[in-house]
Amino acid sequence: MIVRPRIPQSTPVTSATTSSTQLDLSDRFSAEMVSAVSEIFNNIAIHGFADRPVGDIAIEMQVARDHLAIQICDHGAAFDLSQVPKPELDKLPEGGMGIHIAKACVDELDYTPGPPNVWRMTKYTNGSPSKKARRVSTQPL
Amino acid sequence: MPLNHSTEEKDGIVVLKLVGTLDAMTAPELLPTIDRLVEERRNRVTVDLEGLDLIDSSGVAAIVALYKRTRSNGGRVTVTGARDQPLAIFKLLRMDRVFSV
Repeated sequence: MIVRPRIPQSTPVTSATTSSTQLDLSDRFSAEMVSAVSEIFNNIAIHGFADRPVGDIAIEMQVARDHLAIQICDHGAAFDLSQVPKPELDKLPEGGMGIHIAKACVDELDYTPGPPNVWRMTKYTNGSPSKKARRVSTQPL
Repeated sequence: MPLNHSTEEKDGIVVLKLVGTLDAMTAPELLPTIDRLVEERRNRVTVDLEGLDLIDSSGVAAIVALYKRTRSNGGRVTVTGARDQPLAIFKLLRMDRVFSV
């Protein structure tokens, strides 16, 4: 699927089905995935395409019995994810929170700079053991 | 989903009511209202999020901007009614402690 870089309507995915796999998604699961995808999509649209009027963003979704994976590809500006500082939450930041939110909302968040730049978000229906170790907040979503 | 917002004054407190989605697309719609509240030095503001279904980092930033600018005028902003996804985001960003949502 190719979509133009506009801010997505935040319509929660309540279920996803393929011919061989059905995945029932809770409201919390859906809300977290919507948050993660929205933050990454907006990050691409606002920063990756900051110097151009239009561009393409490709979104692919893979549904399995125990997880949902969403891959987002773009040809916008790349960056070094490891250089993105954690927001200083005690100082009430007004920016730099998007990737922090995305990381917290999925079990795995991977980014490969391109072109094309590839984001991959994976969320497991029962949570991932590794997730608990790197959750950025003790407050569960 | 669009954002609908309105203000009304009760007992000297301005209630800013947000309904729908406050995100990167809709947050700019709110900025003129924030500017007006700050310029008019409305120093007691309550942001009512009971009707807010979704928020993202841009939406949070707009509320934080209102909070900081009002505070710099000597005022106070409180946030009420957050639920579901917006409440989870405020907790994740540890802003529930500041706003007492």
